Amino acid sequence: MDFLIQLFTDPVGFWSSHTLLISQIAINSILASSMFVVLYSGQLSLAAPGFMAVGAYTAVLMSLYLHTPLAVNIAAGTALAGAAGVVVGLPVLRLRGVFLAIATIGFIEALSLGVILNLPITGEGLGLKNPDADPVGGIYPVLISMAVVVFFLWRLTKGRLGYAWTAIRQDELAALSQGIDVPRYKLIAFVLSAVLAGYAGGLESHLNFFVDPNEYGVPRTVQVLTFAVLGGSGNVIGPVVGALFLTTLPFVFQQAGDYIGVVSGVILILVIIFRPQGIIGRGGFAFVRPRWWPRPQVSAPSTG
Amino acid sequence: MLLRLDKVQRHFGGVRAVDGVTLDVEKGAIQGLIGPNGAGKTTLVNVITGYVPFQAGIAWLESDQLTGLPAHRVAGLGIARTFQNIRLFKDLSAAENVIVGMHSRRRDDTLAQLGTLPAFRRDHRSRVNEAHRLMEVAGLDPGEVGHRPAGTLPYGDQRRLEIARALALQPRLLILDEPAAGMNPSEKQGIRELIERLNQDGLTILLIDHDMQLVMGVCTRVAVLNFGRKIADGTPQEVSTDPGVIKAYLGTGSEREVTSAPGATGVEEVAEEVRAAAATKRSAEPATAILEVRDLSISYGSVNAVRGASLRIAAGEVVALIGANGAGKTTILSALSGLIRPSSGIAVFDGLDLTTAKPSAIVRHGLAHVPEGREILGRQTVLENLELATWARRDRAAATADIATVMKRFPILAERKNMRAGTLSGGEAQMLAIARGLLAKPRLLLLDEPSLGLAPQMVDEVFAAIEEIHRDGTTILLVEQNALRALGIADRAYVLETGQILLSGSGDDLLHNPAVRRAYLGG
Repeated sequence: MDFLIQLFTDPVGFWSSHTLLISQIAINSILASSMFVVLYSGQLSLAAPGFMAVGAYTAVLMSLYLHTPLAVNIAAGTALAGAAGVVVGLPVLRLRGVFLAIATIGFIEALSLGVILNLPITGEGLGLKNPDADPVGGIYPVLISMAVVVFFLWRLTKGRLGYAWTAIRQDELAALSQGIDVPRYKLIAFVLSAVLAGYAGGLESHLNFFVDPNEYGVPRTVQVLTFAVLGGSGNVIGPVVGALFLTTLPFVFQQAGDYIGVVSGVILILVIIFRPQGIIGRGGFAFVRPRWWPRPQVSAPSTG
Repeated sequence: MLLRLDKVQRHFGGVRAVDGVTLDVEKGAIQGLIGPNGAGKTTLVNVITGYVPFQAGIAWLESDQLTGLPAHRVAGLGIARTFQNIRLFKDLSAAENVIVGMHSRRRDDTLAQLGTLPAFRRDHRSRVNEAHRLMEVAGLDPGEVGHRPAGTLPYGDQRRLEIARALALQPRLLILDEPAAGMNPSEKQGIRELIERLNQDGLTILLIDHDMQLVMGVCTRVAVLNFGRKIADGTPQEVSTDPGVIKAYLGTGSEREVTSAPGATGVEEVAEEVRAAAATKRSAEPATAILEVRDLSISYGSVNAVRGASLRIAAGEVVALIGANGAGKTTILSALSGLIRPSSGIAVFDGLDLTTAKPSAIVRHGLAHVPEGREILGRQTVLENLELATWARRDRAAATADIATVMKRFPILAERKNMRAGTLSGGEAQMLAIARGLLAKPRLLLLDEPSLGLAPQMVDEVFAAIEEIHRDGTTILLVEQNALRALGIADRAYVLETGQILLSGSGDDLLHNPAVRRAYLGG
């Protein structure tokens, strides 16, 4: 609770003492946006941490070995993640639903076991030290990036591209009949998602002095998916709210200590039951009453 | 020639769905395409529009060759279509559905979207305005329905919205796949006027429908398919007098089938028969009821779908529940089988409170529901569909015997038992759905729109099957769009209008009641 009290009574102190947390929220928001793009186009892709790793390792390796400027490193990592998105997307986007999810998990595992944990250049699983990291100075570019990404996606979802994605998500066959090139628009979403994840990875690698190979596995993908599900994937703001909520949760419930996982699990279950559309979703703030929930007794006359 | 098909062919395994069809559609025409169920009409449309690949043959849209193009390219070339089972983007608003239809002719604005806010707004507003204009063309009130999610619109409006969405492509050819299916006569008249108006504005239309009055009345030319082959092509007059067509389309059966030949209304003849049949039947509500429903109200959110409906059914009766689309018929059936819960009222089936019992308990108690749209498992074989219906039973031997019994009743199912259920025609699928319902050994069978989308010959077969099931002692509650046919076999009927029971009585009484004709048959 101290956390919330400080937020309202001493915002300046809060800002300086929680810089890293605020940056992490922004980065998680960009990741959540990356997940949003694929979900919005009807694809259950769990590849985000893989592309994040591409962005992060590229950016850190360039700064370690080529000593190029930070902006160049992150841009290169983002571009390479996008390229990886095309390479991975072309074969796997024929798959749907849970099959796509499993194929993208396969991609994460292959990347993690084959590249991150095995090659000398990536530290063979020991991670990389990043002496150029700048957690304090990083907060402004990170926050601006988040704002730009959210604005950009909001515009896209309201435009021709967004309608095409929605149409595909709701009914692929009907989308085809409207002249929408379904495979193409799915690939656009997949690659855009990869670009955003790569960008988030590049940014994150420069907030921490150490790039941890364990960050880019299946647990991270579950976390990012949870942002989107909890916040609601019907519009851009939903996943961002989910990211904000879940990232701050351990600080709000500091007393929970190691049981924070239990707390967030319970919250997630409650949201899924009563707000299946997510915190931000259609229907205003209405809650859903599950079928098994006790209903008010109707006083009925006895049957004849 | 706008559309030219040359020996187009598509087989599925051994089934020759489309078997060398050659067809020319003139610019500015309303070309009808008819044929019995399973004749290959929808498959032909799917081949032309790129949903199903060509196996052989060529198709042109003016100078553009369609063969081998993916569906979105065909749509981009200017062939818009609607779907037999409406496929709207249900969560998008009605206006947004139409905006999606503008996709292929708006290439330039993705980057403009990222520009300034006023430009974005202006761009958006111009699209919304165009969507509203197209909705007006299709006969929808944009102020009323424009902002509502498409899935919440009444059925007839959904059909119109699908047409508005198709118009957004600015098509050269509009293909309508059963636009009038499941509509009452006044709604059908509205669709007919819409088709004529669109054609007068210069649009070429390919119309598939089972309603002969509509097709023969509106089309300039009609082609007839049977078993994947074109058996006739000409003016409605030529086609409707062609003996080959009459034989293929209507079968060689009872008197009734001949009197309801294409072009004739058939309504009066059937009505006459119904009166004769109904004269001998009971009309009063029974004293003892196997199903008792009193003051049943059901709402979906703020919409009151059923408002205080009461009805009674005695063991051994066939009772019809009729009414226009959206009257609440399906909602009542869903409540009786426990799929949705009423907000108030009583429903008791042979001592079991249907408002609280689980759907599975209701089935075990002897009430089976054959849903609208059949809901069979398309990927499973016919036999597997039937076996799944007996899955919960312990007595395997008896279950196998029961499957054999229902197959004897529906010989077509025995013939097709190893085919995937998804490849069955509409009539066969309906038979399978009824057979599956029978495997629950019901004492009360709820049938929801068994004749929906079926050719007249198939409707006869389905109704004959229903009468047989009734003769074997099963009580039946029949929901039907086709009121004349339903009243023909029902002991009694209830007329439902906007969620309330308007009238009840024998089929005969109801047919003579002018209020019914107004409410249901559309005056």
